[in-house]
This record gives sequence, C-alpha cells and structure tokens, in this order.
Amino acid sequence: MEEIRIGVYICWCGTNISKMVDVEAAAAEIGRLPDVVLAKTYKYMCSDPGQDLIIKDIHSHHLNRVVVAACSPRIHEMTFRKAVEKAGINPYLFEMANIREQDSWVHTDRSEATSKAIGLIAAAVSRVHYHSPLEKRSVPVNPATLILGGGIAGMTAALEIADAGKQVYLVERTNRLGGLVSKFDLTYPDLSSARQLIRPIIQKTMNHPLIRVFYRTEVEEVKGYIGNFTTILQIPEEGETELSFGNIIVAVGLRPFDPSVIPEYGYGRFPDVVTSLQFEEMIGTGRLLTKRGQEPRNIAIIHCVGSRNRKYHEYCSRTCCMVALKFTNQIRSALPDANIFEIYADMRAIGKRAEEFYARTTHQQIIFLMFDQQDSLPVIKEASKNDNCNLIITMNELLSGENIEVPVDMVILMVNMEAHENVKKVVHAVGVSLCGNQFMIEKHPKLDPVATTTGGVYIVGTCQGPKDIPDTVTQARAAAARVLGTIATGTVPVEVTTAFINDKLCCGCQTCILVCPYSAISFNQEKKVSEVNEALCKGCGTCGATCPAGAITSRNFTDEQILSQVEGILAMSFKDQSV
Amino acid sequence: MNFRPTIIAFLCNWCAYTGADLAGTSRMKYAPNIRIIRVMCSGRIEPSFVLKAYRKGADGVLICGCHPGDCHYQTGNYRCLRRYKLLVKYLEQMGIEKERTRLEWISASEGKQFAELVNSMTLTILNLGPAKIKYMPEYQPQNQQL
Repeated sequence: MEEIRIGVYICWCGTNISKMVDVEAAAAEIGRLPDVVLAKTYKYMCSDPGQDLIIKDIHSHHLNRVVVAACSPRIHEMTFRKAVEKAGINPYLFEMANIREQDSWVHTDRSEATSKAIGLIAAAVSRVHYHSPLEKRSVPVNPATLILGGGIAGMTAALEIADAGKQVYLVERTNRLGGLVSKFDLTYPDLSSARQLIRPIIQKTMNHPLIRVFYRTEVEEVKGYIGNFTTILQIPEEGETELSFGNIIVAVGLRPFDPSVIPEYGYGRFPDVVTSLQFEEMIGTGRLLTKRGQEPRNIAIIHCVGSRNRKYHEYCSRTCCMVALKFTNQIRSALPDANIFEIYADMRAIGKRAEEFYARTTHQQIIFLMFDQQDSLPVIKEASKNDNCNLIITMNELLSGENIEVPVDMVILMVNMEAHENVKKVVHAVGVSLCGNQFMIEKHPKLDPVATTTGGVYIVGTCQGPKDIPDTVTQARAAAARVLGTIATGTVPVEVTTAFINDKLCCGCQTCILVCPYSAISFNQEKKVSEVNEALCKGCGTCGATCPAGAITSRNFTDEQILSQVEGILAMSFKDQSV
Repeated sequence: MNFRPTIIAFLCNWCAYTGADLAGTSRMKYAPNIRIIRVMCSGRIEPSFVLKAYRKGADGVLICGCHPGDCHYQTGNYRCLRRYKLLVKYLEQMGIEKERTRLEWISASEGKQFAELVNSMTLTILNLGPAKIKYMPEYQPQNQQL
C-alpha cells in the first residue's frame, strides 16, 4: 500500500479565523500527527496564491491527501477539490474542516476556539486517511425544460429557451398567463404601461410552437435527477400526462400580504382603505372614486404595510416605495387638486433611475410624513360627520416629533410581498429549501444566485426574494442561459458519492430496498443480492446505516471515515482535559 | 479538575449543518464544547457512530436533521428518529443517561435555534458530569473494497 502523505492548510481568512483561532499553534499541533507531511497557514487559502500553494506542495512534497481548514465546506469545498485535481490527484482525496462558521465566528474564548479548531482539523486528518479516489460520472441531458409559473419570470425564461429551439413545458396554477405584472397599470420609473410590456410576452408564449402551457395545473411530485427528470401532471379535463425533462426553472412568484391582520389600518372595515393591488386595478379602469362614488380630495399612501416589522415580516419588499411614488404621479395627473400624503418609514429608492424618480416626484406638491414602522403605526379611524372627510389618520410624525391628524378620503396600503400558501408543496416537489422568510434558497447568494443545491433546479423571480421587473427578467434569462448551457454540452456530471453494495457481504435481506427513498435499489433474483442503480442514487446513506450485514458503503461517508472523525476529535479532547 | 465536556454532533448537510453555518454567519455565540461532524442525511447516522463516540470519551451526542416532512432525501429523518428511540434505550442499559443523547430538528434558517440548542445541551452535560460506561463491546468496522 502506498504511503499516506497529508498536507494540512489552515486559513486565516484575513482576521475572520486568525483573530479567534491561534492558527500557528494549531498548525504546530497538527504537524505532529502521524502521516502529516506539512501543516501550513495562509492569509486566504481560497485565493489564487493560496490554491497555488497547495498545488506546488502536492508536486514538491508528493502529497496524496490534502486537508484545508477554513470556512464551511458548503462554500469552498468545490474550489479546493478543483485545485487538488489540477495538481493531478483525485479531488476526493481532500477533506475540509469548518473552523470559521462553526468555530471562530461563534466563540469568544480564543483558547477554547483554538482547541476546537485543533480537534476539527485532527478529525479531518484522521478521516482523509480513509478517503479513496472516486471517478466522475456524467449523464445525458434531456433537452426539454419544465418551468413552474407563468408570470413574467417564467415566460421570459420559457421564450429564451424555446427561441433557442428547445422544448419548454410551462405549468401555470391559474387559468391565465401574466402573473402579477398583468395586474399592474403603469411601471416605475418611466410610467410606461405594464400591459404593453406583458401582452406581447403572453401572446408570444401562447403561440410559440415549442412552448406547451398547462393551465390550472400544479406539479405534485418530480422524480429523477439533473438531466433526467419526470413528472406526472393532472391536467383538468385532459387527465394525466407524463413529461420528461432535463432541467427545472421555478418561477412561482409571491403574493400580496393580507393587511386585515394589522388592526391599526382597519382594512376590511373601511371600504376606502385599499391595497396597492386594488388601487392598480382602480386606476387601470380610470375610476378613481371613493366607495360613495365621489372624487377623493385627500389621499394617503401608507408604506411598509406588513414589511420591516417584527410582528409581520422583517424584510423589505424592495419595490413598494417606488410603486407608491408611481401612484403619486398617477393621482396627481388624474386629480390635479387633490392633497396627497406619502406616509413613509424611509424612502428606499433601489435600482437604476429610482432616486431620480423620487427627486422628480417630490416636486409634485406631495406631503411627506414619516412614521416609525416598527413601534408606532398610524391608526386609521372613521371621521365624524363634521370632519368633511371619510377617514382620519392619527400618527406620530417622526421628523417634527408631533402627533398629528390627517384627514383623508382614501388610503392606499403598500402591502408587502410574501410567499404563496402552496410554496411548501412546490419546494417539496422539486427539492429546494426555504429560508426563514419562506423564500427559496439559492446555491450561493452572490456567486450562484439562480441555481439551487439540487442539480438542474433553478429559481428565478420573486420566489427567490422580493424584486422588481428588471431584476426578475435578468434572473429569468440567466437561468435560461444556464439551462441552455447544459443542453448544449449534452451531458452533466452527477453525484459520485453514491452507495455501493458488496455482493459478497450482502445477505439478501432487502432492508435497504425498503428504506431507499428513490427506489434506487433493486433485488437481483439470480445472484440473490441487492444492487444500486447509481443513476437514481442521491447518496443520502440511509441504506448504509440500515444494512445489517455491513455490505453497503456510502461513498465519501463510509463507516471508517465517520468513525475516524469521531476518534480524531476525541483523541484531541482528552489531551485538553489532562492539561 | 474543571470538567470540560466534549459533545459530538452529527448534522445533516442540508438543514442542520446549514443552520449551524447560519449561526456562524450571523455571529451568534454559543458554548465551545461541541464538535460537528457532517453527514449528508440524518438517515446515514448509524447507532455505532454514537456508541463509538461514548467509547472514545464523548460526554454527549447531538443528532440534528431536517424537520419532519422537510428532509432533503424525503424520509431519512424518520429512519433516524426510529433508530434514535431504540438507541437511547440501549444506551441507558449501559449506564448512559438518556439526556446525553439528543435528537433535534434544525432547519437551514434556524441558526438561532441551533445556538440555543448547543447551549442548553452543554448545560445538561455539565450538570450530568462526565459520561460513564458500565459495559460496551469494541466495534469493528468491516474492511471493504470499493
């Protein structure tokens, strides 16, 4: 057997790690472990010089195992695997120790954090002894794409892919395309028509020979893996259809927040308190009237409804401030003499030309009133007969510090955007995770914002987080480009960390077949043993934990690897206690 | 001698490990006694891993997976739950108090819950003192060729 030669690299991550972990002491300690040829520290291991350091050492010290102690493997495992591969050794002869997210950033005692780092690195060193080379596999890609959601995001992605000559299946929950954008009247900052924007896209989508739209349909379950997915759709009046596709784009959007849960605003009780979406409809039909059929003389627009408040949603919906200013412009042209009150928390002018739009709008004789959206919401109450208005808003105006009353005939609530009630069903079907705000989680927030941790599944538009039309379209086209990339290549690399059954040890009990969530294991009647279909296996390892004969190896998470980690950690901890 | 417990944690990659990472990126602070080992799914965790940890001197073992219904691999966390229930009974027979071995669900967004869990677990172990095993056989993993 070949001699094991391990190189260990401990990252400072600037001061992120080195401030709380004594990296030099850790390197000295780890350098004493058996088979560790060298243990070095460096400012930024993920930088080019950091990676070059590993590559050079692999050549000059004939290393055949590499351990990097740095950030979470969820961030840079791939980076270092590639570096190791570049130096000519198998990328799976590498292991990472997480000493930033799970050590230096969460502890306050430097000596404790250092001894924890030593334990975690020792575990990785001990584990990497049991690593074996794994060969990459790739599978052909089905050139069709499934898109969930027929709003502007879904349709844009669909057209991009279909125009490139590839089949698209577009699944829409309602009976029409267009999504939220089709409910808008004008868009900011140009005050151009939303309908003129969305109608040609809807027409083109409906008539495209390579786009098949399924209305009033939802995806219940998706089977398969990147390049080779299938689903069975229940189509109203048509029955079941089975579809095969290679990639999935999720563009299911968000829904407006229901403000009736905010007692201060009386939404539902006062007919002249309307949501921003109801107002869009009102102004789109040209009937800007109170419920009594009168032209409103005083209109208030309340910002941050359900946003930036611990009771409702903590996040900012990003678009409502500008939509509110858009309304102001529209009201001003429709009712030149009306008093318009913008009751805002902060004015957030996000995006290109948004700040200029804000500046322009302020010249339209608008009254801006600031409130504390966290602890002091304005209260809407019915006006008395003598008040000469429908409603009265009482509020604490932050800039003047005064408690004031605002007489109004109509109030527009700028409602927050939140996840659909069925978002959990969607994420289960496609295998995507949700963050605490019920937005879908991207693979990397900065570097891979449209991909997800499930290969072949992309997220675009507002289901990934509140955003405006330009950002949504950008994401849709980005995801389409990613999908077309895999179709053009024709094959994609797939999971190599699958399960493997040793037929000499398998006793044929078939317990593994019962526990496998992907039906990836079948029983070979001739040999009387279970066999793994590696194309279907996703490497969860449940079968390995279940096998009573110890015949199943979970590649890259073998018993030996995990047990050696336990040993590595505890060998170091005992040393701590005796000191 | 001051008792400095060591807690071995097995966290699934998709929910719990990501939640623990979130505690880090949010700069939450928790007790430093925990040592995290990543597995792809809580369904991968074999009772022998836990036994090994106690055999080699761990004072507590924490297992975290995705919330029921949210498992990245659909059902792995349910397998884990079943094994866990049997395992704690077995551990008790060996004299390891059942409070030492905990199974909790942590989602990718529950960094705060993870930090609180580690602190409460550490406190439990500190109160219990070092783990003592009355009897445990040596585990021999089978050597396998890939």
